[in-house]
Amino acid sequence: MIELIEVSKSFNVGKVNQFDAVNRVSCSIHPGQVTILKGPSGSGKTTLLTLIGCMARPSSGRIMLGGIGARALPGTDPGAPLEITSLPERFLTGIRRSAFGFIFQQFNLVRGVSVLENVMLPSYPTGESQLAVRGRALELLELFNITRHAASQVGLLSGGEMQRVAIARALINNPSVIIADEPTAHLDSRLSREFMEIIATFKARGKTVLIASHDPIVFDSPLADQIIEMRDGSITSDRYAA
Amino acid sequence: MKRSIERHRNILDFALSSLLRRKGKNLSLLAVYTLIVFIIASIVFFTQALKREAGLVLQDAPDLVVQRMVAGRHDPIPVAYADKIAAIRGVSEVKPRFWGYYYDAVTGANFTLVACDDPAPAAESIFIGSGVARTCRLSEGDFLPLKDLKGAPALFAVQKIFPSDSELVAADLIQLKGDDFRRLFDFPQGRATDLAVSARNQNELKTIAAKIVHEFPDTRPILKSEMLRTYDAVFDWRSGMVVVVLAVAVLSFIIFAWDKATGLSAEERKEIGILKSIGWETGDVLLLKSWEGIIISLTAYLCGVSLAYLHVFFFSASLFERALKGWSVLYPEFKLTPVVDPYLLCVLFLLTVGPYVVATVVPSWLAATVDPDAAMRS
Amino acid sequence: MRKSTLFLTLTALNLLLCALLALHARASNSGAGALRNSSRDLVRRLQLTDLCLFTEARYTRNPAMADRHSPFQDHPMALEHFPTGSLVTPPALHREAP
Repeated sequence: MIELIEVSKSFNVGKVNQFDAVNRVSCSIHPGQVTILKGPSGSGKTTLLTLIGCMARPSSGRIMLGGIGARALPGTDPGAPLEITSLPERFLTGIRRSAFGFIFQQFNLVRGVSVLENVMLPSYPTGESQLAVRGRALELLELFNITRHAASQVGLLSGGEMQRVAIARALINNPSVIIADEPTAHLDSRLSREFMEIIATFKARGKTVLIASHDPIVFDSPLADQIIEMRDGSITSDRYAA
Repeated sequence: MKRSIERHRNILDFALSSLLRRKGKNLSLLAVYTLIVFIIASIVFFTQALKREAGLVLQDAPDLVVQRMVAGRHDPIPVAYADKIAAIRGVSEVKPRFWGYYYDAVTGANFTLVACDDPAPAAESIFIGSGVARTCRLSEGDFLPLKDLKGAPALFAVQKIFPSDSELVAADLIQLKGDDFRRLFDFPQGRATDLAVSARNQNELKTIAAKIVHEFPDTRPILKSEMLRTYDAVFDWRSGMVVVVLAVAVLSFIIFAWDKATGLSAEERKEIGILKSIGWETGDVLLLKSWEGIIISLTAYLCGVSLAYLHVFFFSASLFERALKGWSVLYPEFKLTPVVDPYLLCVLFLLTVGPYVVATVVPSWLAATVDPDAAMRS
Repeated sequence: MRKSTLFLTLTALNLLLCALLALHARASNSGAGALRNSSRDLVRRLQLTDLCLFTEARYTRNPAMADRHSPFQDHPMALEHFPTGSLVTPPALHREAP
């Protein structure tokens, strides 16, 4: 369960061009469900995703993470919800690495490096044995049918293949929450539907999925459990799909 | 502990992948860097070895050499001076030296001729150095034609060739009998090239020299310590050619570091953003950049120093031959005893690895501290 | 093979080479005394003052015997023209002003 309580995020605070991306947002993300953030560009969806995914800290408000399998801080009760709002960077990064998997709109794959290495990259700083990680990476490539590209350069792949590499990378550390920002923006309808099928498998495995999208294939999908609509940094509607 | 090592190895893996991406550029960078370290290390090894050889071999040089200067030029010194000098307190022996230079028109080489009767070569026979034997293609029993002052030929039989181990002092040496020397050069009677003075107490040398100058103002005494100091100053970093070489090397270092230090390209910045967004901390990114710097500079240092050692002590510094030979025809074969000065090698290490790693890491610092959410935005 | 393994192996080999060369230096030095004997013998008998390094000119062949004016003896305005002349300096005598 991820809870946001009166969360705000402003950029360029105190300057002339102060910009309030997120304005006093409160909502709950339920574990094991697919939540869609819907809204036009500039509505604050991306910012909200970064706040939930421990990539940035809110300017005000509190964010509580509970039951998502994040490594608890020493000295705290593992079962209790964790407030991440004022954690130092190192702990934040540790939580992010173990609990969240990101799929970026631009894929953000490292050029010039092989697909396999791209997939293994998030695990490098953890010091986990490379043999184990490599095994997991190859399994993931197998799962998404791109094993034949394991040694290829990322730049040689098609859009759909690149996205599957990005998804595989997001899963390498076995996160319990998947966050995707406009995943179907660069895909055609067929590939978008294939993407939603992959999301179905995540849901089946009990993972929590959070997608920001203004693509109807995504937010009209029967998989969506909760749809949060945003506009100008505030939530305009928060409903549960039937 | 194991985690920490594994983490380093993982990041090292990625650093290598990163460098291999621009294989050509990084390999040529490595090659040039190694070359520079090679040249500097070669100079260090060569000069240190030569200086030590000079110090050890010239231990038995005369304590004091007295030259005579007339109108600013060296002039043969009257042997009569020797008696007065021998009378100075502390002087044990004064021996006149007879030596000079001979230019051989046939080969274009300069020889050093020394007259010594202890032991003396036979009449009209010479002992020659291995360099002379090489240049004139002589072996024992052959003849060497020399021209005297009037241009008349004088044939000398090669009685003995000095051992090749003595190349460093005797490569161009020709030793002949005193009479032959005087006849060849029509050397003035009662004169010598200079006087070699021995003293009982080394500490008295300065006083003795002062007394000699006082007695004979036209003389110029040279102490053994001053002779040895000359060899400390050879290849000094202030000397012409070495300054040029070192300046080029330093300039190259600066150019490399500049290339790195003048900020990251947009591509590199983006990549750091990606790494941060997938869960790498600032420390991990900086470690990556450090490894990138260390890989190149450490490899360049180790290869450069090893190759320099092999070059100087196994191949007689053959790459320096052109510079050291200059216009001379007779060139000694340098068989130097290795000298490894740990202090200088440490300094070279710090200069090679330090600035380069710093120049690689520091520009990335700013990019590495960027918030990961910036990657979401781009 | 992992790239890091390869790199670390190569670096280790390089370090090993350096160590071997250092041992070579140590070994050569212990035997060098005997090699120097013929040179030292000649220096003692012939009362030599210089190493034979550069046979280009008088003052490069016997730098310990040269003085500041030696390179210019040929002509008052003669500039240094022997390449190795830039490598040797005359001895800095105590009595001569620097």
